[in-house]
Amino acid sequence: MAKISTILELCKICTGRSDCMVEAKNMCMKYEKGGRFALENINFFIDRGEFVFFVGSSGAGKSTLLKLIIRELRPSDGTLKVFNRDISRLPRHRLPYLRRNIGMVFQDFRLMEERTAYDNVAFAMIVIGASRKEIRKRIPHVLGLVGLQEKAKARVCDLSGGEQQRVSLARAIANRPALIIADEPTGNLDPGTALDIMNLLRSINMRGTTIMVATHNRDIVDRFKKRVLYLENGKLVGDEQKGIYTNVH
Amino acid sequence: MFISGFGYILGETLKGLYRNRWMCITSTGVVAVMLLMLGVFMLINLNIGHITDTVKEQVEIVVYIDDQADEATLSELHRMLSEHHAVAEVRYVSSGEHMERLQRQLGGMLEGYDTSLDNPLLASYEIRTVVPEEVVAMAAEFETYPGVSTVFYGQGYVENLFAVTRVLQMVGLALMAGLSITAVFLISHTIKLTVMMRNKEIAIMKYVGATNWFIRWPFLLEGLLLGFAGAVLPIVALYYIYQFSVDWVIANNLVFLNLLPVQLVIVELAKYLVPLGTGLGVLGSTFSMGRFLKV
Ligand SMILES: Nc1ncnc2c1ncn2[C@@H]1O[C@H](COP(=O)(O)OP(=O)(O)OP(=O)(O)O)[C@@H](O)[C@H]1O
Ligand SMILES: [Mg+2]
Repeated sequence: MAKISTILELCKICTGRSDCMVEAKNMCMKYEKGGRFALENINFFIDRGEFVFFVGSSGAGKSTLLKLIIRELRPSDGTLKVFNRDISRLPRHRLPYLRRNIGMVFQDFRLMEERTAYDNVAFAMIVIGASRKEIRKRIPHVLGLVGLQEKAKARVCDLSGGEQQRVSLARAIANRPALIIADEPTGNLDPGTALDIMNLLRSINMRGTTIMVATHNRDIVDRFKKRVLYLENGKLVGDEQKGIYTNVH
Repeated sequence: MFISGFGYILGETLKGLYRNRWMCITSTGVVAVMLLMLGVFMLINLNIGHITDTVKEQVEIVVYIDDQADEATLSELHRMLSEHHAVAEVRYVSSGEHMERLQRQLGGMLEGYDTSLDNPLLASYEIRTVVPEEVVAMAAEFETYPGVSTVFYGQGYVENLFAVTRVLQMVGLALMAGLSITAVFLISHTIKLTVMMRNKEIAIMKYVGATNWFIRWPFLLEGLLLGFAGAVLPIVALYYIYQFSVDWVIANNLVFLNLLPVQLVIVELAKYLVPLGTGLGVLGSTFSMGRFLKV
């Protein structure tokens, strides 16, 4: 299969045009007024079709950054554009439509624990108005992609941490969003499953979906040779194409 | 979209109702009690209205003629009554006719009593008025006419009927206002419980892009169903209560209590109680949401 991302790359080179998926300009974030910066003066640009890792030690601000993108949080200063729109100015009633275009895997999963894996994924599809038929066809497929076809009818609270994490990923990819954000998607997985999951994300990326992954998984970052953004104490200290886990500077 | 979305919303509503069943029963109960009271008031009001109307259609003022009065006085009296601006109709009823009526009402209890010999009843003029509300003033005026013994207009009866209706309406309104507030409060509280139980889920729904309306619908429906159930129960109860009353009135031969037919009354009740109940339910649920949806 031709790599659509490569084709996109070529198109951009030819036309000199690029599509803003996420762009931060002098963005700052404080959880409390007068408190310390969780993120300080962040600048970056992520193009359509990119695959980007966010790395940095625990507490560096990776989750904060990703939460800003789905506007769970608002930047306290600077601008943040998602899909080329300044989202701190997004009116409240437009918010659901922003989130429908982003598939998010949360570090704490955020699944409806009393419900089955199937229902959790189905809900995300019901919300966007998918038909019953579509849902019935799509869910076994995405649960299969994350290796959970047997667990469809199991309640989330009866699943292991790694399984829950994969349900969360299945939900994120179910609607084929333009942007997938994954916060530690392999945190609870053994190296083998972790690699399978990351390969799944890579294959989704090859079809043109932009992917952002926050991770501590050195092995995977080094193996994938994708763009890496390094965070340290709330500051962006490095941005390398084909980077590796350890920041060299 | 509508099929899967609607099915989901309906399913959620029913689940919410089930998980919270005791609170649901309580709040539906309060709505039901309050609508039952309203229903009883409406039944009484409707029937009082009906009875008053029947009274109005019947003779309104009876002017009894002094049996000492001579021919000239009588014809003068008849002329004055007929020419009164508010009088619609004057009919002469002889004392013999009165006796016949009495015998009919008493159902043959005076059998064998020779009425032509000694009839204590007075002859009268029966008058229907143009404006029923002026009955009291007119009766007072007729008292002063020559050849009049007494004037009867259901002294107190008509006024009491109006007064009772008014008092009933006042008391009823006050009670209902209080009960409505209680009902709205209880329903909103019930739904708040469901909302709180599902707080985490609601947050998750918002993260995957559910609109506020999508999240609200199950709760609105929940309130609507509670209110609707609270309206249907008293209507059913009132149907049987009223049917029983009508049967009782007929069985006891209280013909003067001319009650309205059951079907007609129940339809009339439903027209008010169902929208009121569901309205209270929806109102209660809108109060319960608002601040929970800000994520
Ligand atoms: N809700 C909050 N209120 C106050 N401070 C917070 C909150 N969430 C995070 N922080 C702080 O912001 C900083 C960045 O946190 P963040 O969760 O973004 O780190 P992270 O890079 O995702 O770490 P990890 O790798 O452990 O997930 C931390 O110092 C954290 O204590
Ligand atoms: Mg984190």
